[in-house]
Amino acid sequence: MSNQNKDVLYGLYDDEQVLLKAVDKANAGHLEIMDVFTPFPVHGLDPKLGLEESRLHIAGFVFGALGTLTAFLFMTWVFTRDWPIIFGGKPYWSVPAFIPITFELTVLFASVGMVVTFYTICGMAPGITNPTLDDRITDDKFCIAFDVTGAEEAQKDKLKGFFTASGASEVNMKTI
Amino acid sequence: MNQFTFDSRLKTFLIGFMVLGLVCLGLTFAVDDDLHTRFWTNYLHNTVFFTGIALMSLFTIAAFTTAWGGWFVLVKRVWEAFSLFLVPGLVLMLLVIVGIWGHFHHLYHWADAEAVAADPVLLGKSSFLNPGWYTFGTLIIVGLWIFFAFKLRQLSVDEDANGTPDFEHHKKIRIWSAAFLPLAGFSSAAVIWQWVMSIDAHWYSTLFAWYTGASWFVSAMALTILTVIYMKSRGYLEHVTIEHLHDIGKYMFAFSIFWAYLWFSQFMLIWYANVGEETVYFLERRENYPVLFYGNLILNFVAPFFILMRNDTKRKYGTLVFTSVVVLFGHWWDFFQMIKPGARATAMEALAHHAGEHGHDAAAHGEMLSTQLPFAMGFTIPGLLELGTGLGFLALFMYVAFDRMSKASLVPKKDPYLAESLQHHVEIHEEGAH
Repeated sequence: MSNQNKDVLYGLYDDEQVLLKAVDKANAGHLEIMDVFTPFPVHGLDPKLGLEESRLHIAGFVFGALGTLTAFLFMTWVFTRDWPIIFGGKPYWSVPAFIPITFELTVLFASVGMVVTFYTICGMAPGITNPTLDDRITDDKFCIAFDVTGAEEAQKDKLKGFFTASGASEVNMKTI
Repeated sequence: MNQFTFDSRLKTFLIGFMVLGLVCLGLTFAVDDDLHTRFWTNYLHNTVFFTGIALMSLFTIAAFTTAWGGWFVLVKRVWEAFSLFLVPGLVLMLLVIVGIWGHFHHLYHWADAEAVAADPVLLGKSSFLNPGWYTFGTLIIVGLWIFFAFKLRQLSVDEDANGTPDFEHHKKIRIWSAAFLPLAGFSSAAVIWQWVMSIDAHWYSTLFAWYTGASWFVSAMALTILTVIYMKSRGYLEHVTIEHLHDIGKYMFAFSIFWAYLWFSQFMLIWYANVGEETVYFLERRENYPVLFYGNLILNFVAPFFILMRNDTKRKYGTLVFTSVVVLFGHWWDFFQMIKPGARATAMEALAHHAGEHGHDAAAHGEMLSTQLPFAMGFTIPGLLELGTGLGFLALFMYVAFDRMSKASLVPKKDPYLAESLQHHVEIHEEGAH
């Protein structure tokens, strides 16, 4: 997170269809959108913003495979080298008995690994607070935000005009 | 195009394969042992497999309707058509029943009155495993499924013509669907115990019904994907997009994992407890049928798991068709390995008994199972005759399904969820091509 504060001009929309049209309009007018905030994933929004698909699931696969290997190799080492014990007349290296634990560790590694990766990428950690523009964007408002740090009044007026024309129900300024 | 025309070219094609199936069945009968075990097991195997697909198609409609799902409405007519195969399915099962009463086959150890009298285990089970219950259970339960299949189909087709703005038809469909779910759950377990599990008459597993149910469900999804893609290539079902196929692909993926989970749960508990009368089932398969045993896991778990794990493989026709063919064949293979080893052991014992080589007692049965069995085409692995028979049954299934599809509009025009299905969208990162 950069320490420099930003001046953000943002508009709130009541409906995701209006928001999608507004994003099109902004793209057509070559207005540089800083970010869009929505209370739920809006279909078709990401390509309009030029966002690429998340690669988090690749990390998930790698963590999962790591969990599989850790569990399986650890049990193999314990039961064949470190402390071989006969359970119920089964061989030392009893693969079926290892499967449930291998499965559990795969899930555990994948989920915890993905959470940690996601938090790291987003710059989140315990104690860090991220400023929000408006609490209602987590409830029922759809928000388009522009970075207007150091921008001229004419530029701000142009953006305000864009918000009015595209159907925003509210236009606000905030320094975050 | 909303109206499917079942043209003569397709009919001839399917009839050709049915003839192939009949020829294969006939050839099997001719080259068989004295009890015609290979013929009867092939017949039972395919009948059970395709009747199960019909049941699961009906179950899918009922489950999605009860869950207030809307996305599947455009695919609904395909499942309705599949579910109507229950009628030929019951007719095919009748031949097995006739075979039991007439002693034409030796599929079920418990159907042999002489063997039951000398066997305390079979005697203990004889209040359920007897020809009377087999007949009654099959007729009543499959008859009940047919009743529900007709009811849902008739209401759905009638809605096209006489649908009202307050959705009277849909409300009725919802009630019938909800009533069908618990019925299907319990009754499918009862018939699968009789049809398949009782082939290994001494053995039982409480997970068996779930495991076969999952197998049927995955097969139904795979066949749906193949049918939808075929119909689309012919210009029908144009409103069914890759978004719908993506969701059906997810069901195929998820239930392949579910199947593997059940398969392993059944296997591991028996392996762990190591009780002789339970382990015999897996020991027999692992020692004498290794290709069936391990091939089953590769076809039905490893292949779909790794192919369908990625998002994009569920959104491309090529990978979807490939995986559907693999798992459809795989679950056909799964039923093959459920039926063949037990029926073969029963037949071998009966043949030996008829030849007077062995006394008929439990010890001889156990001895038979623990000896190394020689390779036998059509038992150790499916042979060409099995493949031909399977294709014949598949052609029969598709003939019935296409015929039913041609009898009604492919789009349920007045279904209240039609608009939702038309707009169905699952992918946030769309590439624009679809």
